[in-house]
This record gives sequence, C-alpha cells and structure tokens, in this order.
Amino acid sequence: MRTMNWQKYALAFIITAAIFGTAFYIAYRLDRARIADIRATQEAISIDILSTETQFDLLGRLDCSAISENPVLSDELNSLAERLSIAEQNLGADDADVIALKKQYSLLQIKDYLLMQEISTKCKNVKPVFVLYFYSNKGDCPSCSRAGEVLTYLRQTYPDLRIYSFDYHLDLSALHTLESLRRVNGEKLPAFVINDRMPIYGFKSLDEMRTLIPELKNLATSSTALLNP
Amino acid sequence: MELGTLAIDVCLFIALFFEVFLLIAFFERKPSTKTREMPKHFPSITMVVPCFNEEKTLKSTIESLLQLEYPKEKLSIMIVDDGSKDNTRKISEELAKQYRQVEYVFKENGGKYTALNLAIERVQTDLIGCLDADSFVVKDALIEAVKKFESDPAVMAITPAMKVHKPTTILELMQSVEYTFGIFYKKMFDNLAALNVLPGPFSIYRKEVFQKIGLFRHAHNTEDMEIAFRMHAHGLKIVNAHTALVYTTVPTTLRSLIKQRTRWSQGFLQNSRDYSYMFFNPRFGHFGMFVLPFGFVAFFAGLFTAMYAAYHLIQATSMRALDMYLTQIPPHLSPVSNNLNWFYLNTTMTSFLILVTFSMTIVAIFLGSKIADSKITAKSLFSYFAFFGFIAPFWLARAAWGAALARESKWR
Repeated sequence: MRTMNWQKYALAFIITAAIFGTAFYIAYRLDRARIADIRATQEAISIDILSTETQFDLLGRLDCSAISENPVLSDELNSLAERLSIAEQNLGADDADVIALKKQYSLLQIKDYLLMQEISTKCKNVKPVFVLYFYSNKGDCPSCSRAGEVLTYLRQTYPDLRIYSFDYHLDLSALHTLESLRRVNGEKLPAFVINDRMPIYGFKSLDEMRTLIPELKNLATSSTALLNP
Repeated sequence: MELGTLAIDVCLFIALFFEVFLLIAFFERKPSTKTREMPKHFPSITMVVPCFNEEKTLKSTIESLLQLEYPKEKLSIMIVDDGSKDNTRKISEELAKQYRQVEYVFKENGGKYTALNLAIERVQTDLIGCLDADSFVVKDALIEAVKKFESDPAVMAITPAMKVHKPTTILELMQSVEYTFGIFYKKMFDNLAALNVLPGPFSIYRKEVFQKIGLFRHAHNTEDMEIAFRMHAHGLKIVNAHTALVYTTVPTTLRSLIKQRTRWSQGFLQNSRDYSYMFFNPRFGHFGMFVLPFGFVAFFAGLFTAMYAAYHLIQATSMRALDMYLTQIPPHLSPVSNNLNWFYLNTTMTSFLILVTFSMTIVAIFLGSKIADSKITAKSLFSYFAFFGFIAPFWLARAAWGAALARESKWR
C-alpha cells in the first residue's frame, strides 16, 4: 500500500474554501457598497425635492423659468431605477435593504410627481408629460420586463419625458393610495397612466406607446437636446 | 441561488481544488533543471516505431532517433508496419538498408497495440521505448530518460515532456498551449506518483514490465492509458522525465482533432470503468484518490458547464431577438457612462471565482513553459482561451455518447 499524504488534501481544501470565502466576501462588500451608493443618491434627491418644496412654501410661488431649465426629476433619479434594478438582481427582490430602498425611491417619485403636477399648474411654460408605470416582479407579469425596456428607451430618447415606475405589490401605503386614486387594477399589469388619463393595460410596443403619447411630438429628443442645449 | 449557478459554483470549486492541489505539489518539489551529467551505464534499448500509413513523417521520425546522443551499439530501432497501404513500406525498407540500427517488420493490420506487442515479443534489450511515427525526439532526450531509470531502480517506465511540432495555425497554436499546460500537470502528477498515461511519443519501459503485467491490450483504442492504469494496479512506478523533450505533430483540422480527442476521452471513461475498483481506493495512492476521481468529475463538470453556458447563450440570444421584435426598439447602445461605472460591473461570487480559476490556469501554463523551457506567444494564448472552451465540449459529448453506447472510437 502506498503512503498517502492526507495533509495535502486538507490544505488544498482549506485554501480552496478560503478563495471561495474571499470571493463571497468581496461580492458581499460590493453589493453593500451599491446599497450605500443608492442610499446616498436618494438622500441627495430627497434634499433637492425638499429644497423645491421649501422654496414653494416660502415664496408661495415658483420661479418658473428656473424650474423649466432645472427640472426636479434629475438624471440621478432616472439612473436610480437602473441601479436599484441591478441591486435587486444581485441581492434578490426579498432583501430587506432592497425593499427599503425601493420604498424610499417610490416615495421620492410620488413626491416628485405631485410637485411637478403643481408646477405645471402654476407655470404655463412647463408642460411635462407623465407616465406612471406599474409593474410586478412576482412572476405574474411576463411582459413587464419588455414594457420596462420600451419605457427606458423612451426616456433615453426624450429626456423631458417623466416616467415614474412602481412595483405594484410594494407594501407602501402612499403607493396604494396612488394606485387607488389612479384606479389601477393589479390583475392586468403592466399598467400605464399617461398624464391624467385612464390607465392602459398590457404590453405596448414602441410604436404603440408613441401613438398613446401624442405629446411626445412636442418633446425634444436626446439628439436635438444635445444640439440645442 | 439558482440551481444552475450553484452547480457552476460546485464545478468551480472542483476546478480550483484541482489547481490548488497541483500548485501545492509544485511548491513541495519544484522540477529539477537539466544537468550535463551523463549516466554511468547505458542500458540497451529498442525504440519501437509502430506505423500505419505514415509516409509523410516516418523518415524524419527515424532520422531524429538516429541522431540521439546514445551509443549506437546500444540503440536499436524497430519499425513495425501495421499493414500500411501507402509508401511506408518502401521508405522503411530503404531506411533499414541504409542504417544497421534500423529493422523493419511488416505485419497484417491489427491495431497499434498488436504492432507494439510484436516488437516486445521479439526484442531482448533492457529497455523498450515507443515513438509514434509522427513525433521527433531531441538529441539528448534518451540520455535524460535513462538518467531517470539509473537514479531509481524502482522506476519502471518514464514519460517525456511533449511539445507541439512547429505550430503555425490557430488550431496548432491552441494545442501547443494545451500541451504546455499538460507539461505542468504531468510533472505534478509525477510528484504525486500518479501519472495516468504513457503517451505514444517516447514512453520508455523496462523490459520486465511486460513480463510482470503482460503485453499491451486493445483497451478501447487507448493502450497507452490502460498500460499506465495496469502499472498502478500492480504498484509499478512511472515517472516523468521533463527534460526529455519530444515534439509531436498534432491534428491540423477540427474534424481530426475532435476524432483524436474523442478517442482519448472515451478511452478514459471506458478504462475508468474497467478499473473502477481503483477509484477512491487509498491502496493506489494519489492515482486512486485524486487523479482518477478528478479526471472523471472534470469530464462531466466540463460537459455540464459547456451545456449550461450554451443553453443560457441560446436562451439569451433568442429572448433578445424576441424582445427586439416585440418591442420594436431599434438596435442601440447603452449610455457609455453606464458601461464604465463600477456599479454596473458583474461582481458576483461566481465571476470572481471564474477570474481566479482563469488566473491559476495562466500560472500553470507559465510554469509548464518554464519547466520545458518553451515560449508561449500571445497569439497562442489567445487561440487557447478563445477556442478551446468551445471545441472541447464536442469531443466530451461524443465521448460520453460513445461510452454510453459502448461504441468503439475511431483512430482517424
């Protein structure tokens, strides 16, 4: 019988396990860093919104020219949705931090939506186009990801288009209120509320969305926006 | 975690364990460098060159043997023609006429192992070597091999360090990197006393090996693998002479490469079944505990990983096409800033593990090139990493299918 060096097996196993542990730890730390990054962005946006609200409260009026040039819904809030989606993919939709961030994000969107509605009433030069998009990632909405792609493309093409996306099943009372106010039926998702019109249900292609939002013709596209800053 | 991702992580754990184990073996005993020391005795040796339709390379192979730095009276060369239909006979007869060291024997076609056995039964020399008729030895290769036999009387067979002969095409360059990786892991298998194959190009045996364990067998067309398994079963020592260099020609077409590797892989599966009692049996040392089980698991892990990757690639591509069709979104690029931001990088545990496994493979290839003093070009490295992973699954799948149906693999 040959002599066996079992220590070699134990050592190789320990080193391999250590490599696995290190990879797991690095991945975990980076995921947490993502959460921190999202949280910091949300806080910054929160301050932006609060600042506009405070300005409104203090003066009882708005500087409409300033608002049209510097919309409240910043690019940061636009990219936040993508970042949140990445965090959701990596950490899972059930992760407590992800849920908390989604709630905060949804609240920020609702506040921004309400504020922009108020601004559009007061300022004649601001005519935003809103799309409230309700989706579900519980497996009951197979076409939601495609609907999200169409909206992402529209947002990239029309930077002034204000799209607010909400996870219909998110346990947030303010969101439930918005859903009932807009009479959104959660059994027919995806749902779109364009400006103040009645909800539209089911997947819509890019061309169909363009037909449903005729106001898009009045919005600048990203290329024209770049050419005419 | 998704079940498929979990299975991939298990495969990565196995691959990493394998590489870590070999690196430990490397740092325990680093390969010695070549010395100018000569052996004290020169045992008699017959180099057997079995051939079947080898008119293109036979002459060069024999000439490389004739140029070996070894006493002429101690070195005989026996060409065993296994029923060639081309000019092999004519070339061999001319060589036999021209050189006294060369003997030519013709026999009816019966397979490589029968050609080897015919020679073994005829020769009376201390050592018997085998050299495929498409391989070429370096001048001091035999001296280096003989030193191994001399340094340890228990050594019963030696394997060389194999390199690819003049690689030029992408396929040859890919194989040259694979052979360099092979130089590393074979040397480490040697450190573990667990070499699993005595390859056709330049393996040398003591004559008594065949008296103890018998002649070569058909062994599912992998007689060189089976003899190594049988030697381990009988406790006979095999070592790797990494300073004994041999160059071999490799398949130049994809079809012939897949056919060759299918034969090797299927032979491994079928020989593993024949010697299944050695698996996880400490009586056979690291060969039974490490090399055989890991070879077997690596086979199916490689197959699974390839199928998993192919499934996801096909699924993702078809979904993307369906999405584009349904959404009517024209092809466009994502904003560049997203691609550059760390936030959007894939930083899952699996991606880090793939990176570590990839890095360790590079280290192993680099060590292999150091051991055999060969150079690895960027082009050959690219050829290996870009294509090997796509081609290997074909022969793994064919071998698994062939073994399952007990279908005989083909030589050519």
